[in-house]
Amino acid sequence: MPKILLVEDNEMNRDMLSRRLERKGFQVLIAVDGQQGIDLADSEIPDLILMDMNLPIVDGWEATRRVKAKEETKAIPVIALTADAMTGDQGKALAAGCDDYDTKPVDFPRLLGKIEALLQRAGKI
Amino acid sequence: MPSISSNRLFWQAAVLAFVVIAAAGGAVMLSIGGAWLLKQSLVPATVATVVAALIIGMIARRVNNALAKAHEKIEAAYERMLAQKTKELSQREIELRSTLENMEQGVAMYDADYKLLTWNQRFREFLNMPDEFFSRDRSFVDYLRYVGQRGEFGDQDLETVVKQRIEQLKRKHSFERTRPDGMVLEVYRAPTADGGFIAIYTDITERKRNEAELNRAREAAETANRVKSEFLANMSHELRTPLNAVIGYSQMLQEEAKDTGQEDFIPDLAKIENAGKHLLGLINDVLDLSKIEAGRMTMFIEDANIAAMITEVRGIIEPLAAKNSNRLIINCPADIGTIRTDITKLKQSLLNLLSNASKFTDKGTVELTVARSGTGADETVHFRVADSGIGMTPDQLGRLFQAFGQADSSTSRKFGGTGLGLAITRHFARMLGGDIAVTSEEGKGSVFTLTLPVQAALEEPATVPEAKPMVSGDKEGAQTVLVVDDDEAVHDLVGSMLGREGYRVLHARNGDEALAIARKERPDAITLDVMMPQMDGWSALTAIKADPEISNIPVIMLTMLHERAIALSLGAEGYITKPVDWNQLSALLRQHSRPGAVIRVLIVDDDPEMRRMTRRMLERMGLEVGEADDGEKALAWLAANPAPSIILLDLMMPVMDGFEFLERIRGSEKWSGVPVLVVTAKALEAKEIEFLRSSTQKVIEKGATAGTDLRAAIRDVMKSGAALAKAAN
Repeated sequence: MPKILLVEDNEMNRDMLSRRLERKGFQVLIAVDGQQGIDLADSEIPDLILMDMNLPIVDGWEATRRVKAKEETKAIPVIALTADAMTGDQGKALAAGCDDYDTKPVDFPRLLGKIEALLQRAGKI
Repeated sequence: MPSISSNRLFWQAAVLAFVVIAAAGGAVMLSIGGAWLLKQSLVPATVATVVAALIIGMIARRVNNALAKAHEKIEAAYERMLAQKTKELSQREIELRSTLENMEQGVAMYDADYKLLTWNQRFREFLNMPDEFFSRDRSFVDYLRYVGQRGEFGDQDLETVVKQRIEQLKRKHSFERTRPDGMVLEVYRAPTADGGFIAIYTDITERKRNEAELNRAREAAETANRVKSEFLANMSHELRTPLNAVIGYSQMLQEEAKDTGQEDFIPDLAKIENAGKHLLGLINDVLDLSKIEAGRMTMFIEDANIAAMITEVRGIIEPLAAKNSNRLIINCPADIGTIRTDITKLKQSLLNLLSNASKFTDKGTVELTVARSGTGADETVHFRVADSGIGMTPDQLGRLFQAFGQADSSTSRKFGGTGLGLAITRHFARMLGGDIAVTSEEGKGSVFTLTLPVQAALEEPATVPEAKPMVSGDKEGAQTVLVVDDDEAVHDLVGSMLGREGYRVLHARNGDEALAIARKERPDAITLDVMMPQMDGWSALTAIKADPEISNIPVIMLTMLHERAIALSLGAEGYITKPVDWNQLSALLRQHSRPGAVIRVLIVDDDPEMRRMTRRMLERMGLEVGEADDGEKALAWLAANPAPSIILLDLMMPVMDGFEFLERIRGSEKWSGVPVLVVTAKALEAKEIEFLRSSTQKVIEKGATAGTDLRAAIRDVMKSGAALAKAAN
């Protein structure tokens, strides 16, 4: 059962996404800010990270950079969740080291496709 | 009638000449005749002489009479003519005077030596000069010198100005002049045939005021519109967050209902989801339109495969067309090729046209035809959307592309929509270098044709213009701040604020320009707007921080939104939300600009008020300040602190005055090289001036302009200091 770390500060988005992922059979870990996301990535080594960008304490770009800078966690695929109103966010996310991105509001089937593709590439499913 | 009177005079003169010549001729003949008779001894000499004298006397009298008469006549004619001429002249004078004096303009005429010839009362009023200037022995040069001494030429050298102005007189020219009291004059000067010139002064104060008011009103209106658009953009963003939750949860519940077999909930949940999506679409439209109006809509130009995009569009439109039992026909050749454009905007435009067509057509056809035409730079792609729906009247067609201008309000009740879609589509088409056209007949259907160039030519050139920075202020040695913003109002405001604070300001209108200027000019700090066309602030910030040559330049982000974390994580040194708080910006710039090059100034003055004022001014220039209230304390300060870059020295102080202090530091090894600027109210003696000249950089008199002089002198010192440091490296 692949383990997904969801880093999202908005409670409703977190709730929806985690429930839908769990229903699809994933184990979901939750972090509510960037720092917690980095810590959990360190201690749990998830199979994939879904990272919101506008996060408190440490934002998603910086959190991604730190995850990707560390030998133990740099192989974990990261999907950025960006608000599509902010053009340029996606480019920035990729520059920070994200493997892919999806825009909010999340189109769940599309996101699922991206998750599965990355997990497959990493040999996790 | 001057010609007649001069004719008469001529004839009278001619008659007189004839009489004189005839008389003289007669006398000569008589003399010759008399001489001949004498020679022949026909008449005794005495008789002959007497007769001759009688005859000559008679003739002479006759001639005399004739002459006197003629003279009288000439004189009378001359008098008449003079009277006539005088009358004419005074008539002309009256004409000229009344013309001059009743004009709205001030007029003056100068002769070939540029001396005043004629002028009117308005001229006196407009020039506002002492009475003695309005006389014929006064010249244009006297006037220039007087105005120059009154300070109206600013810092320009008077003799240079005089030379320039004289040179100008050879040609017709005009310029505007503002009097010290605020009156604005338009001055027109033109050479006259006699080598002089005429000057005409027009009071244009009112016109200028009206123009300024008009400008202000226009700016206020533009600002209001921009503020409205920005509010809408922010508001729409806020509306989307809860709406996303509504859509997300309704989707999730549908999935759960399916999984748990409670399928009867699904249709209602789908309605919630659809209504939410519809509302989201409307909000997105409003957001798009407000972005377009605020000039913040960005275009991302890329090469895209047309056929692949059309397949994607078909997937989205098919269910929509099927809803009203319409047949969707798509004619797109597989080898249609690629287009270089903003593919997202193109797709959005096509979806908009096709969903409109599906919405307004029932049990008919919706047809999309794609074709290429033209060659080279003129090559275009046409997207033709035809339907067999309700169509439009000519009146409805006219309002079609206006925002909120759906054909009529009953339409929106019946068919939904904001009526923004077509306005947005047309904006997009034009921003991408194309356009949209429509034909329609009521009851028969509509045809929309979207035409785009194969190579999108953006309205604004996307290429980086040669980095020729616009510079406000002209302050050598001042710290340089690059202001990056697409909003002219911000340039004006920030530029004038920073200029006042002593910064040299460079301006860039977009991210690309900012990068080019930053690389070339290496400013001491950059202020960067987040929302800009072409390259947004975040991308620009990332690019600056990624370039090792400029990455150490401190960047302060100016943004509408609270995105502090992003700003700092991307390497910005500071962050300010708009509207800009000047004190905050100024403090941030002081804190961050030119790291490592602290310039410390020691103020030595016994007057605390003077010290306070000077300190404030220096701190605004970004300098660090130390204070001492006499020479002795200043020596103590020097001993306790690192050597200052500059000392500002008052001369008259208790305990140890400025002269003694100077002697002490010039004699010391450690501080002999520190530049000293003397700021004094003392009337200096020749010996003192000599001493100060040899031991200080500049003497500034305390007074009205001391601040300006001091700033300039400090910059000079800083500049030569920087030059020295460079030479030493």
